[in-house]
Amino acid sequence: MSSGCPPQSPAVAKSEVAVEGECPLLAATFAYWDNILGPRVRHIWAPKGDQLMFLSDGEITFLANHTLNGEILRSAECGAVDVKFFVLAEKGVIIVSLIFDGELKGDKNTCALSIILPQTELAFYLPLHTICVERLKHAIRKGRIWMQKGYNIISVLSLEIVPIMELLASMKTHSVPEDIDIKDTVLNDDDIGDSCHEDFLHKAISSHLQTCGCSIVVGSNPEKVNKIVRTLCLFLTLAERKCSRLCKADSSFKYDTGLFVQGLLKDSTGSFVLPFRQVLYSPYPTTHIDVDINTVKQMPPCHEHTYNQRRYMRSELSTLWKTDSEEDIPPDTVIHTDETFTPDLNIFQDVMHKDTLVKSFIDEVFMLKPGLSLRSTYLAQFLLLLHRKALALLKYIEDETQKGKKPFRSLRNLKTDLDLTVEGDLNIVMAFAEKLRAGLHSFVFGKPFLTSMQERDVLMSF
Amino acid sequence: MIGSPDVVAFTREDEYSQTNPDLWVLPEEFSIPLHPLADSNPWAKTSYAKFTKDFILISEFSEQVGPQPLLTIPDDPKVCGTFDLNYFSLRIMSVDYQASFVGHPPGSGYPRLSFVEDSRVVLGDSKEGAFAYVHHLTLYDLEARGFVRPFCMAYVSADERKIMLQFQELSLRFSQASECLKAGNRRAFAKELQRKLRDLEYTHSVLQREEGLQREAGPQCMYSAHAVEKANELANVEKSIYEHRDLLKQISSYHRHPRRDPHAVTCQKCVTECLRECEALLEKYAKLPVNPFTHTDKVRKGEEGQGQTEDEGGDAEVEEEEDDGIKRRPSYTPQLIKAKSAKCFDKRLKTLQELCDETFYEATMELLKETERSFRGDLCYLHTRRLDRALRRKLRVTDFLFEEELNDDDEDAGTLRPFCAVNHTADNYTLINPPPIVLGPEPVELDALEPPDPLDPALETSHTQESELGLRESHLDSSPSDQTLETQESSEETKGSFSSDKSGMGLAEKQQSVACMKSEPPDPDSDLTPDHNSDLERESSSEEMETTAGEDDNGGDQTPVSLLEVISELEASREDECEGFTEEVQSDLLVPLDTACCMAQEGFLYEASAPESVPRLGSGSHPQPSQNQVVNQEPQALLPIQDDYAMGSPCSESPAAGLELAVGLLSDAVSRASVEDGSDCTMSASTGSDRAASPVGYGGVVTLRQRKKAGQGALRFVRQYPFAMQALWCLLSGRTLVVLGADEGRVRRLVAALALFVPAPGKCGERIQAWLSCPFTLTDLQRWKLIGLQRVASPVGSSMIYSLSRYSRYIAILDADQKTLRCPLYHGEVLSNIADHRTYIRRGSTYFLHLQSTLCRLAAKAFLFTFTHHLHLPVSSTEGPEVVEGRRRCFLQEQLGLGEEDSQILLYLSQLITQHYLHPSTRSSAAAPCFSFNYTTSVLYKI
Repeated sequence: MSSGCPPQSPAVAKSEVAVEGECPLLAATFAYWDNILGPRVRHIWAPKGDQLMFLSDGEITFLANHTLNGEILRSAECGAVDVKFFVLAEKGVIIVSLIFDGELKGDKNTCALSIILPQTELAFYLPLHTICVERLKHAIRKGRIWMQKGYNIISVLSLEIVPIMELLASMKTHSVPEDIDIKDTVLNDDDIGDSCHEDFLHKAISSHLQTCGCSIVVGSNPEKVNKIVRTLCLFLTLAERKCSRLCKADSSFKYDTGLFVQGLLKDSTGSFVLPFRQVLYSPYPTTHIDVDINTVKQMPPCHEHTYNQRRYMRSELSTLWKTDSEEDIPPDTVIHTDETFTPDLNIFQDVMHKDTLVKSFIDEVFMLKPGLSLRSTYLAQFLLLLHRKALALLKYIEDETQKGKKPFRSLRNLKTDLDLTVEGDLNIVMAFAEKLRAGLHSFVFGKPFLTSMQERDVLMSF
Repeated sequence: MIGSPDVVAFTREDEYSQTNPDLWVLPEEFSIPLHPLADSNPWAKTSYAKFTKDFILISEFSEQVGPQPLLTIPDDPKVCGTFDLNYFSLRIMSVDYQASFVGHPPGSGYPRLSFVEDSRVVLGDSKEGAFAYVHHLTLYDLEARGFVRPFCMAYVSADERKIMLQFQELSLRFSQASECLKAGNRRAFAKELQRKLRDLEYTHSVLQREEGLQREAGPQCMYSAHAVEKANELANVEKSIYEHRDLLKQISSYHRHPRRDPHAVTCQKCVTECLRECEALLEKYAKLPVNPFTHTDKVRKGEEGQGQTEDEGGDAEVEEEEDDGIKRRPSYTPQLIKAKSAKCFDKRLKTLQELCDETFYEATMELLKETERSFRGDLCYLHTRRLDRALRRKLRVTDFLFEEELNDDDEDAGTLRPFCAVNHTADNYTLINPPPIVLGPEPVELDALEPPDPLDPALETSHTQESELGLRESHLDSSPSDQTLETQESSEETKGSFSSDKSGMGLAEKQQSVACMKSEPPDPDSDLTPDHNSDLERESSSEEMETTAGEDDNGGDQTPVSLLEVISELEASREDECEGFTEEVQSDLLVPLDTACCMAQEGFLYEASAPESVPRLGSGSHPQPSQNQVVNQEPQALLPIQDDYAMGSPCSESPAAGLELAVGLLSDAVSRASVEDGSDCTMSASTGSDRAASPVGYGGVVTLRQRKKAGQGALRFVRQYPFAMQALWCLLSGRTLVVLGADEGRVRRLVAALALFVPAPGKCGERIQAWLSCPFTLTDLQRWKLIGLQRVASPVGSSMIYSLSRYSRYIAILDADQKTLRCPLYHGEVLSNIADHRTYIRRGSTYFLHLQSTLCRLAAKAFLFTFTHHLHLPVSSTEGPEVVEGRRRCFLQEQLGLGEEDSQILLYLSQLITQHYLHPSTRSSAAAPCFSFNYTTSVLYKI
């Protein structure tokens, strides 16, 4: 590290966080632009224990200040959270900074919440960037409310920074490898139904694809859980696999929002309690697969999920706004409701729509001899087909609506023209397309859904 | 009394109490929108940016005017629109990007150059809707403050996700550009130092001489003020000489400092070359003490010959340089340095171009332009294209059917393969920590480039020659594009063999040309594209195989036979234990698959599948019993049948066999012959015209772009012709389709559109003849699956009509003028989705995407059918071929749900896959596996 670091501010508070395993995060910082003194660091979070690289507090402070440089020119809208990403080879670190405005001591200030990692972890971190940023952004939303009320933002931020440290540590040891050997998956079975029931496998993969490749696999046997996790990950891209996690053999990880596939172990009583809020905050709807009882449940499609998620977020922020004591931060386990919104807690439902794409794939792939690369090749062909269908669908809608300038009214024609008349097939291809063009579900299905929601609200009000 | 102000206050309080509940309502700025813009229009997210498309911006933090934009790529003001480049430059340059000390460190005698690593920043301006990947770098400039000039290269986009998702690729590309620019800058900096040292030495000698004169002129032991001033000046100059020598030493030691950036991409050759030059200079100037006589003599000489022109002086310089053993370079006349340099704001700072060696600068710009091109477009299309390529690399076994050639050297692979911007070989690069791929293809591709032999003396020689100063332009002269051109020419020649005027080029001639290419000393600049030469050879050899099929039997057969041997051995050993072993032993070119079914499949294909089979042409002499062995014995039987396969393989057939085909014999029959059965080049040579040599009018390797364009034509065809489905079925099931018409343009357009449906059209569309103006023969039907035929009213025309009517049983004829189609009936359903004239698909590009997915599905089904073992192998020894055949039919009909006609498509595709897999030697030539046709009654379709 450079020796030219400025002296550490005496006022910097530091929290040491005990994280199980090796945490790749060097530190997290909260800094703000003081109108008199310039950039100042307010708080540092650092994992406890040995790390790959050591940063002194002075160096952390220097880097944190660094993130606010140039922000005097900031002209963002009120409430906007901008992300800056640094790879500083001179310092050997990468810094992710979320820049936002907040009220400190009665003044509007530009603030930065940053996480610092060694540069060697760039490839590890990049696929997880969106997950970290989205989670931190929501923590900042809550933090801004807290700042507005004159409370200490650090307590609110800690609620998300510590889990992110834990997430990164767990991903370091249990993330799904990029190259999955098909031999470690169900697709290597001699015959369909050897490892799991035929219909269960079909339902699991189909629903997994319908929910944009986002699934949680729970069970009591870690090997069984991980086999299904790997099988589902075969249908993901390499980057998505890096955002997936195997289950731990001895004890379970906590559910983590934003991962694509995660394996979770049931406790000794044979149950696993999913946190409602975290599951709802996942960017995509989720499929719930229980390998003990062979059940597959799924959350509503993207547009509905996004709508529910936003309403819940608003409700959560609203509750925080109404809190009149700094000590009363509502815990994540509390279900927020308000006068206008009561969340439907029964978010996992049966898989309603059958498909032909996955069905025929499952039927056919087991005809090919296992142990060779035939099945991998056939899988690649299947994935290529899905990606191409998704692109064709996207282009079709793009043409029909002049890139979203006109509403989309020809769903029936689309189904016929693109051979997607079976509802399950359409859902799968739409899910692939949603990942390419976020908001597509809301654009195509949003209007009728909103109308039905409004009608329901009106009926409920009587 | 209650006064009015109190009333007002009271009233306000009332209002306040009414609005009191609002205090508990969360203000919008602390909430999140329930219906963000993306919901109402997912395409609108990036629309509020003030620029129309992504661009690259190079900015500088000028010591005179602060941050300023220098140039944009593309250099078109329309691209940036009303976007404020000045403001954005200020924003991206105001990041404290390095924070490393540069200049005079305290306590140090001389200024120190600091070798600062680049930094990468992604930032944005959410209000402006502009986001950027910014790559900061520092160049050296002798005139600049602290000798450094901070620059940045930024990729500016309206889509933040696009930048973050492609961060590693962007980082790699910009690191390459930065290293190239910095290497050129070090070279230019060293040259500048050299010039400066000369100036200083010249100045020193002049001052010394003047001081000597003054000393002589003045009284002893007395120094005038002027003499003291001169002495001080002299001392300053001497100090400056030492400082500059030290700088030269420092820049020469660049390579010795450890790199801290694990993502830096350095070309060892560039580094070595720069280093060598710097060291040569250093050596030269280290030897020269501040000797008053060295330059004084020269000055005197100069003064004596005042009449001499500058050029002469320059020549003298060059001579002197040559004497010193340093390479020839443009001459330079030393200048006298004035005691007081220009003020900071008076001086003109060098431009970026001046700061960098010209070759390196041009190469950097080229690299940046290429970067801009490769990242152009919407993220979802870029993303899908990458996924598509990554998946297709696993599908070599079926990829040839409907996909364009997947070139390993193409842009996407290139994004992740480090190469030097000035065309140095890939092995010179040291990627300290190669980035794993997030979106791109497999990491294996990084090893795709074979390093050239480092011990090659020719390479070494050329390397030494190139390292001379100022002679680097040659690197760019033979850029990879030249190689591509050569390859294209070669491929055109290959196609030219169909035409009469080109068929004269003999084998010997081609061998000679190949030999010439081989005998030429390897051009170091072509190292980047070593595959092109081998491709060229491959193409030439494939051409040889086609033109001299009869003579080339042995060579042509060798590969398949040896492959079969290996395979059979593997098959035999596999029973024991190791199934996966096959994968390890087979050639890299092959997708490691189990071939048992594939081989049996070939046996199946050679056996007449239709009940009305007749003796096959040319293969009648093949020992049938051994084919039965294929079916009856698994897998031990594979070894004995190799000979049979070798004999039965296309290359072994007599070239004239196809010509002896008696049409009468073929009636109501399924007939098959191997590729070369019918390939008679002397005959086909008479059929082509010059233009016909170019398939589908592409004239080279068929690209995705051309195929996309053809999508529009295909959609139009489907919409215009209600019998389009029948025509497509003919093409997909292997029946040659002849497009007949008088208007060349119309026929060519139709052929280009229909070419999308031709399975295995070949790398350059060899199986398509876009325009033929003379009668075709049976061999042509075998070679070409889609023919554009000119309708002429002349004797030639009548012979053409004759040929059409003669072979009409075996082909489909689409009359572009009459708008009719003559072909067998099709009742299938597989194609209904891509040939529905009532389709609502609006654009050709959308239709192409839809078509791609449908054809991809067909290829997958064909793959499944080909490699499903139990279909092609007898379950027991008592099981005859009929049972196996029945099982196949049952699979097609019941498992895949295909009717008779649809099954034919799959059978044909499966046959192609088998041929492609078992005979990799014919892959590049796109030869037909066998000549098959199935006579059924044709009907005439009209609009």
